[in-house]
Amino acid sequence: MARLNDTDLKLFIDSIRNYLKVTTRQEPQITSAFLGTGQIEGFEFNGLVTFSGSHNGNIIVSMPDKLVREILLLQHETDLGDSNLLDAVGEIANTLAGNARKALGAELQISVPVKTQGSDAIQTRVRKHPYVITLRWNHYEAMVCVDMDRAD
Amino acid sequence: MRLLIVDDSNMIRTRISRVVQSGGIKGVVLAGLARNGAEALRIARAVRPDVVTMDLTMPEMDGIECIAALLKFDPSISILVVSALSDKSTAIKALKLGARGFVAKPFTDEELQIALLDVADGR
Repeated sequence: MARLNDTDLKLFIDSIRNYLKVTTRQEPQITSAFLGTGQIEGFEFNGLVTFSGSHNGNIIVSMPDKLVREILLLQHETDLGDSNLLDAVGEIANTLAGNARKALGAELQISVPVKTQGSDAIQTRVRKHPYVITLRWNHYEAMVCVDMDRAD
Repeated sequence: MRLLIVDDSNMIRTRISRVVQSGGIKGVVLAGLARNGAEALRIARAVRPDVVTMDLTMPEMDGIECIAALLKFDPSISILVVSALSDKSTAIKALKLGARGFVAKPFTDEELQIALLDVADGR
């Protein structure tokens, strides 16, 4: 199986940037993008979408509660309970995964999002060397973890 | 016109509801909310929507299957697909099945309003 190339990775960076820019009118700052080699600790709220078809693997959007609450507040959402925060990160992961089809092709299949709470969600879900994109939005840190290969 | 919103995300259902209920779409009132295609069919039989916003990636019954089933039930329903699957072939597939419009996620309130008005006006 072939790893993703720089162009593939850039589309996920552009995608999270675009998502926050469109939905909150505030573009995030991408603080780093690297190949994870050790234990990756994420944030409390995690949305995961699994890929199959032309690519295998998953994407995880990992965010702290305060960031997710702000995103919801900016959309005039009044339910800021944990269940709704999980729904929100799941939807963000779904959007990033779905948008990837435009560049990676319609043979890329995506699952419905799985939502988990707990900072160990990334560690338990990724293989050895996922790509990690860290970002800062409105003073909060967040992470997008892309763990996928092209299926040959 | 009665609107049914179909999306497995509460955030999206709430957002589209808010855009409609804030008076952004004249003549369109919220008639129901569904979390997946199967629920959408059950609700549609009860509320007889004129317009439906439809997500595609959902559990139980996805949007493509639901579009086909809804239009078989009532061919006059106007369906606006609202989906993250923004590739051309998905949009073409939905339109060939009978959807009247497509909005890619993420979307602004203005983009949604314009698309809903187009689909509602086309009736």
